Amino acid sequence: MKSKILVFLMSLALITGIFSIYACGEKPEKKEKAKVVAEVINVGSLNDMTGATSDVGKDYALGIAEAIHYVNDNGGINGKKIKLYQFDYGYRVPEALTKYKLFKRLKCVAVLGWGTGDTEALSPTVTKDKMPYVSASYSGHLTDPKKTPYNLFFATDYSTNARAAITAWFDKRWPKHPDYGKRKPRFLCSYMFASPYCSAPIKAIKDQAQLLGFDIGPDQDVSLFAIDTKSQILGMKNFEPDLVWHGNTTMSVAATVRDAYSLGLGADHIVNNWGFDENLIKLAGKASEGVMGAAVCAFFGEDVPMMDKVVEYAKKYNPGIPLEKRLIRTTQAWGDVLILWEALKRADKTGDLSGESILKNGFETMENFDIGLGAALINFTPTDHRVAGIVPIYEIKDGKFQILEKIDIKSRWSKKWANEWLGW
Amino acid sequence: MSTTFLPCGDYHQNYKQEHAWWQTKFIEAKMILLLIVLFVIIPLVADSYVLSILNLVGYTILGALGVQLLIGFCGQITLGHAAFIAVGAYTSTLLILEFPWPKFMIDWGVAYPISVLVAGIAAGIWSVFFGLPSARVKGFYLILTTMAAQFITVDFIITQYVSQIGGRGQAFSLPPGTIKIGPWVIDSDLKVYFMMLILLIVCVIGVVNLLRSRVGRAWIAIRDNDISAEVMGINVVKYKLLAFYVSGFIGGIAGAFWISNLAAISPEHFPWFWSLWLVGVILIGGIGSIHGTIFGAIFMVVVMELLQLAVMPFADIYPKLLMDFLFIKEAAFGLAICLFLMFEPNGLAYRWWQIKNYFNLWPFSY
Repeated sequence: MKSKILVFLMSLALITGIFSIYACGEKPEKKEKAKVVAEVINVGSLNDMTGATSDVGKDYALGIAEAIHYVNDNGGINGKKIKLYQFDYGYRVPEALTKYKLFKRLKCVAVLGWGTGDTEALSPTVTKDKMPYVSASYSGHLTDPKKTPYNLFFATDYSTNARAAITAWFDKRWPKHPDYGKRKPRFLCSYMFASPYCSAPIKAIKDQAQLLGFDIGPDQDVSLFAIDTKSQILGMKNFEPDLVWHGNTTMSVAATVRDAYSLGLGADHIVNNWGFDENLIKLAGKASEGVMGAAVCAFFGEDVPMMDKVVEYAKKYNPGIPLEKRLIRTTQAWGDVLILWEALKRADKTGDLSGESILKNGFETMENFDIGLGAALINFTPTDHRVAGIVPIYEIKDGKFQILEKIDIKSRWSKKWANEWLGW
Repeated sequence: MSTTFLPCGDYHQNYKQEHAWWQTKFIEAKMILLLIVLFVIIPLVADSYVLSILNLVGYTILGALGVQLLIGFCGQITLGHAAFIAVGAYTSTLLILEFPWPKFMIDWGVAYPISVLVAGIAAGIWSVFFGLPSARVKGFYLILTTMAAQFITVDFIITQYVSQIGGRGQAFSLPPGTIKIGPWVIDSDLKVYFMMLILLIVCVIGVVNLLRSRVGRAWIAIRDNDISAEVMGINVVKYKLLAFYVSGFIGGIAGAFWISNLAAISPEHFPWFWSLWLVGVILIGGIGSIHGTIFGAIFMVVVMELLQLAVMPFADIYPKLLMDFLFIKEAAFGLAICLFLMFEPNGLAYRWWQIKNYFNLWPFSY
């Protein structure tokens, strides 16, 4: 009897699923009709709520949904509503590939993506499909329109952030060091080697370290899941670094910073933006004092334009989550949604919402476009998808984020910026 | 004894008939129909999304086939199979990207097919290394030694050394057009699908034939009781290692196939969870059954995807349903294994056998 009930339930689910395949399949004439009547624009979103980067991915996913509500409440795409298809893919590449195909089947006009691994794995496919793919991966590899024209994001890329962070430390902290002028500063990187996200800016940051005259030590492999990193800290101690760059997400960065503090490593820390948020202070406590990092936009609740809306929609759509638990990730999600919104509006005004039009008439017409949120002014050109060259570097002081310096990488190394640094 | 029901009056007269693949005209017709569905109808009606799901099913079957061979037919429990798939994927990728192929070989599109074969051999040999402890240990201890394959291969060797080849330091990019078989550039889901079908059919036929041979009988004897097998004169260590080799070989083929579906590979593509997932596939499909492997893979991929599509119409009422589906999927994976172990310990293959029997014996199935 039990097995009969099981078989019945399973069959019911399967039949519904098969019906859904048919229902959301490609029926050109029906779709055309739907376009006219419903005036809905489909957008897909891939998020990580359960995988290796879920420590930062959950808040980002909430932010995406809230931002889309805001867009729809404020006129949508010139009157058309956005319908969001949001899926958790658990940071698994095969899952991301099939979900992307599902978005295509659902006639999504653009995709809000997540991790570097899957974004880079999908990059040739989105180029072939001409699908604008606005990701939470800010990998420098995605900024060269010759290679990845349809990969976009609102923030300064990891490589630029890393160059700016190490430069800020070199400018501000190193001159105060007792050994300043006596020897070269020592630097090493701590990140998960296996993760394309973590290793994306390694080449750039080492290049910058060489440019500034650092001694570079051996990299330390720290898992994204790490909760104990003492062996890596002991490995670092042999080199006696003055500065450590952390490329992981918040949870493992907090573990590393904490262990460095308890084992007396004595180095300063700079952190990539996905490891630098409000939770770092909570998780690492005292050990987080003095940690520096590149934040690509304002922290949640900061006094910057548009933040009132971010907070309002967080309260409205996720009242169960206390505001003090919300993170900069929400702001980042809003950043990506807001540039997509603007691009869709601009493309829609030309009467063409194809991927190519969204890119050419939307994104690539943005010049010093201000989305607020403490983010850089957005610039996309047909030859360069790096939004800006100025990176605000924050430090943690008395348990709070304080802006340390804004590093203008673009002006300081203008020739290298223009001729060498694009796309890595 | 054959498990095929023969029409009244038909009987086998020799071993050839007994072991024939398709024993009756009716079975032959069914199989031809299946091939027509797979090679003609599906490519005609399926869109890119459906094909991508089917390609994932094929990848899962190829991966699980090796696990089935080891666990289901040779009794050697493994939880490190993702490592051998990774070896296959990286061997094939490196051969394509780094090996100095003569130009005519690239033009003729033979580089990738050769790399697939070499990937299988490399993964097979690598698998034998991690099979060596099986000469001494079994059960839980063997699980731990096979798990070591994941950490040593993926987390250490591939991440720290192989990924650095060519100064990459991260993902290996496979630009479109890199994967070519003869005159065909494998650049669409449909071409990947055909390649998957052919590889799958070759591997399934290979494994089934091996199982019908002396080697297969030796494996089954070892699975049932290794001491008895040894007493009967079977070289247990040799056959165990052979099982690891064949299992790794198929895993390598799976990895080499999978790169045709990707534009870049990184160690992240081969997590330890995938090994566990493959064991789940054979548990649900049925241990010790080749078609159980296929049913298991279909269940784990297609059914989960259909369930997801089934909840999509309700997403307008409760939007979080889409987002939370992976939670449901993970929970369903665990629950499915529990339920199958309790109510259907022989897996879907047994249920299939029962259904077949019911119709074969109908209307006198009592």
